Amino acid sequence: MSATAVVHETRDVPQPRQHGKPGGFLRHTSIVTGLVSGIVLAVVTYAIGSHFFVPWGTQNADFTQVGLNALIAATYFAWVIGFMAGIGALAGPIRWALGHDLTHDDAEYMAGKGQGKWRYWKYTTDHKVVGIQYLVMSMVLLGFGGFLAMLIRTELGATWTEVFDPNFYNSIIGTHGIVMIIALIIVVTGPFGNFILPIMIGARDMAFPRLNALSFWLLFAAVPPLASNLLLGGIRDGWTVYQPLGTQAPIGMVGYQVTIIIFAFSTGVASVNLITTSVTMRARGMTWNRVPVFVIGVIASSIMGLVWFPMFQYSQILALSDKVINTSFYNPVHGGSVWLYENLFWLLGHPEVYVVIIPGTAALMELMVVFLRKPLFSYKVAVAGFAGVVAISSIVWVHHMYMTGWAPSSGYPFMLSTELISIPFGFLVLVMLGTLWRGKPWTRLPMMCVYAVIWDKVVGGITGVYLSDVPVDQYMHGSMFVVAHFHYMLMGAGLFAAIGATAYWFPKMTGRMLNERVASTGFWTAFFGFQLTFMSMFVAGLQGMPRRVLQFDNAFNISNWLSTIGAYIIGIGMLIFLYAIITSWRHGTIASSNPWGGKTLEWQTETPVPLENFPVLPVVTGDPYDYGVPDPYGPIPVEDTREPAVTR
Amino acid sequence: MSIDNPPTVEVDEPEEPTNRPRPDHELRAWLSRGYVRKILALTIVFVLVIVPIAWLVIHFMNLSGAPASAIMVEIERTMFVFTLVSSPLMAITLAILVYSLVGWGRVSGDEPPMQESPAIRTNGRAVVIWIAATSILAGFLVVWGLIELATITAYANGSTPPNQQPHAARAIDINVTGQQWLWTFQYPDQGNIQASTLVVPVNVPLYFNVTSKDVVHDFWVVELGVKIDANPGAITNTGVTPDKLGTFNIRCAELCGLHHAYMETQIKVVTQDQFDAWVRDMGGKRTV
Amino acid sequence: MTAPSVQGTEPLYPTTGEPVSVNAGRNRLGIWLCIVSDATGTLALLVAYSYLWSLNVNDAWAPPKNAWASPLPFWLIVLGTLIATLLMWWGLRSISTGRRGGLILAAGLSALIVVLTLIGQIVQLSTFPFGPSDGAYASATFWLCLAAAFHLFTLFFLTTAIVGRTRAGRIAPDNHSHVRLVAMYMTWATIAIFLGALFATTMTVSPNDNSPTFGTFSE
Repeated sequence: MSATAVVHETRDVPQPRQHGKPGGFLRHTSIVTGLVSGIVLAVVTYAIGSHFFVPWGTQNADFTQVGLNALIAATYFAWVIGFMAGIGALAGPIRWALGHDLTHDDAEYMAGKGQGKWRYWKYTTDHKVVGIQYLVMSMVLLGFGGFLAMLIRTELGATWTEVFDPNFYNSIIGTHGIVMIIALIIVVTGPFGNFILPIMIGARDMAFPRLNALSFWLLFAAVPPLASNLLLGGIRDGWTVYQPLGTQAPIGMVGYQVTIIIFAFSTGVASVNLITTSVTMRARGMTWNRVPVFVIGVIASSIMGLVWFPMFQYSQILALSDKVINTSFYNPVHGGSVWLYENLFWLLGHPEVYVVIIPGTAALMELMVVFLRKPLFSYKVAVAGFAGVVAISSIVWVHHMYMTGWAPSSGYPFMLSTELISIPFGFLVLVMLGTLWRGKPWTRLPMMCVYAVIWDKVVGGITGVYLSDVPVDQYMHGSMFVVAHFHYMLMGAGLFAAIGATAYWFPKMTGRMLNERVASTGFWTAFFGFQLTFMSMFVAGLQGMPRRVLQFDNAFNISNWLSTIGAYIIGIGMLIFLYAIITSWRHGTIASSNPWGGKTLEWQTETPVPLENFPVLPVVTGDPYDYGVPDPYGPIPVEDTREPAVTR
Repeated sequence: MSIDNPPTVEVDEPEEPTNRPRPDHELRAWLSRGYVRKILALTIVFVLVIVPIAWLVIHFMNLSGAPASAIMVEIERTMFVFTLVSSPLMAITLAILVYSLVGWGRVSGDEPPMQESPAIRTNGRAVVIWIAATSILAGFLVVWGLIELATITAYANGSTPPNQQPHAARAIDINVTGQQWLWTFQYPDQGNIQASTLVVPVNVPLYFNVTSKDVVHDFWVVELGVKIDANPGAITNTGVTPDKLGTFNIRCAELCGLHHAYMETQIKVVTQDQFDAWVRDMGGKRTV
Repeated sequence: MTAPSVQGTEPLYPTTGEPVSVNAGRNRLGIWLCIVSDATGTLALLVAYSYLWSLNVNDAWAPPKNAWASPLPFWLIVLGTLIATLLMWWGLRSISTGRRGGLILAAGLSALIVVLTLIGQIVQLSTFPFGPSDGAYASATFWLCLAAAFHLFTLFFLTTAIVGRTRAGRIAPDNHSHVRLVAMYMTWATIAIFLGALFATTMTVSPNDNSPTFGTFSE
């Protein structure tokens, strides 16, 4: 019998006293109580605070509107605290402190047993519920960010006029940036790290089930401050919100800072959960040699997020402090430094792009194996690649600051480290190419995304090489070339990989098959539009067009017209893809438990996945890449690094 | 299967040294495989497609009059060389990508395919060659970049201002102030004249002291390849020697608020006589 | 790790039925990861403090009239946190040798000292010879102390929770892993508060005395 006892065997385990019915306070809470309590507390705080924070809207010589900023910040925080209390997040710590530990029935209730669809609207701990919640939230954020992108390209395409007033335009680009960044951070790790990973490692849930719910609902609470900023003057300073420009901004900027502070907690909690789950809850027999590569990618991404997110969080805490209590961290008149902000920001800002791209790459590696019916090429090189990227990503951040004049001689060592990181990144490309080598692809949508992503990685990678060179950056920094480069990496390689992962795990998560004809049409339309948009953008950058501008030299007109046409094509493509997702989710063909013939553990359990994931926890006896026939080309020796299949 | 009769695992015994194929025979055997030849041919095709991009890149950069300084020449040379040296690795990646879609067969349909692909778990030689190639490429890019950085730092008059260097007596010091939303240029050595268009003589070293009066701006002299942030509360420095007559663009490359897009001005590179005349017209005089 | 689910050898965790040592191992890793994250946050504040100290932008690092904060309150707060932490480790020793009462006493005393230290920190924050808007040193010192206050508030919650849980029987000689976790976190909090005090009391006058005047090219 396995050591990890199964949930339904705990009838014999002595339980603590049952306080009330199973679930306790959480029987009465849901998103409704959360919303009500959050809004009520926010309104009360605003009403009381408006009598104490005086004077409103006064600007001192250093741009700050101290009173109003403080009021709005207090209101946003009151919303978050009220919402989290109202949805039942505080029940956990309070029960712990009082010693009213959860019984088995409590835990089952909190995991959503017996609540049907309503469990998606409550503080549910079941990792599968949280995965679906993250999937929907990602799509909502991507849709909002995408809509803003359409507005941006409309402005840039209408070269003969100003469609939007400059303040609004500046707000749109800032909001688009941060909404997309947040969406991309969660788009693979959120849905698939939560839903699929625990099943993939043969566990019943994650290590800290209540943290599953906490990370999602903190994210949910962080969204209204961000979304409402457009009504309060907007985030007019790009997604990077360089200080001290941020202190000039209207009160909508406070929303950005509150969102990031809360989002950092959500990400930190999720990272702790994912890492601990992957390290301590693998099924018996799943040694580190046999862990699927997707898990390694999620661990790598979570480590980077866990370690560096507090830097970003503090950069915003100090910015909020500058706005609200008039400190001078970034205010140069009183001793503050813009370079402090830039360093704190980019210390996360760089690892963050790997947080975005690593999980998607790992997911593609996972699915490639299934669609090519051959083992992953050199698993050890893949692991080394992820490890190398994690390690070196911490020491490259200054390449975002080559032109700041902060420390001119820092260009040398950071150019070195930035070039070096291309080597472990290259390991990942090698693994993908090696897996493609002599494989016979099953040309379904998940597999086709791999081709799209590798192309985008090649273009993004080579343009990244240009930018890593300080002299070249002296021309390119702050131009549209940079914008095109990071869209190739974050969207072309990041988002499109997430689309591949979605197509791959859709049958397991929703129980239905994705309508691939429609989804592929949407995907390839978006892919083609993407190339048009961003290749033209490279040209605009080469010609010398700066970024974050709404009007520009006539010399850049043609590139911008082409980019805008491409952007509309992306929009159409993504809408078609969304249509495929929604209709398949509701009316698609019912999926079998293993439609792809996969060997990882999530495909060995039923669909829909039962609450306890497996009736009996699996014991692993081999690695998940045991595909393929012996190589017909005998003479050239192929190193056989498989472990013998004998088990004890 | 029991403990007493463990299953036999086939192990490849190394062959006798005299029987092992020669490395060049192995290579020839590998090259004789159809797919290897086709992929190599595709690689060559892609290299030939990528190489002209190097010229195309430079073409776009030069559309508005660049290069107008030795720094810009170095920048363009770097872009050109980087494109060329990266082309083999890019090409082979794309070749494998394209060939894998068409060359080894394809399966479509609803049912998972029967297992048919060779179970290649790893290939030590391929891994070593790839790591070596990418490391050599990265190494080349680093070394080139470090040398280029030192070169343009020297062209930008490095960290020692030209007026402290014995042989740069004719250098012109220019104080650049960025503010929302315009650039002001002050010439301390020409009687402290102030202008909103930068007028400079050709082939004379310039040394910029740059700061900001409010938020972060970025001083970008586009066709001369000069860029440095204008930070409030700090003075940053860079320099250049313009070597082409003409009018070029100065743009702000860091979002600085409402009219960031309009924070543009011009640099006019003129002859020494025209510059002296301009200085006189502005009410200044040469004090150096 | 194959502990049999036979009653009497080791208590089982109620919700999943696993031996408590398995759960304790997970919680320990979780706390370590939380400490790592907390450490980076602390590092951000220390970086902010030292970087602004080294730059002395616009000659505005020093507080008005050079009214640096007095070092004594910092070190008293460090001492308080240290004593509370040592008490919790002693309480752990107590419960692991079977004495429940010893843990309740130690955790209770620890909680009391944490409260006194927290009050002391709030008093220090409100009686600085400068306000948070009085320049970069004032801002950075203020925030180091505010972060210490947040740490102390968390410690207050944790220490009183240990008292509560022990009295409710959830912490027992054969199931006391939570005490160790709290003691670990308290140790980290002590280190963080110590580092803040160290920076704020030793790095006062800035080494840079020729920074340019804001908006001009002169010094």
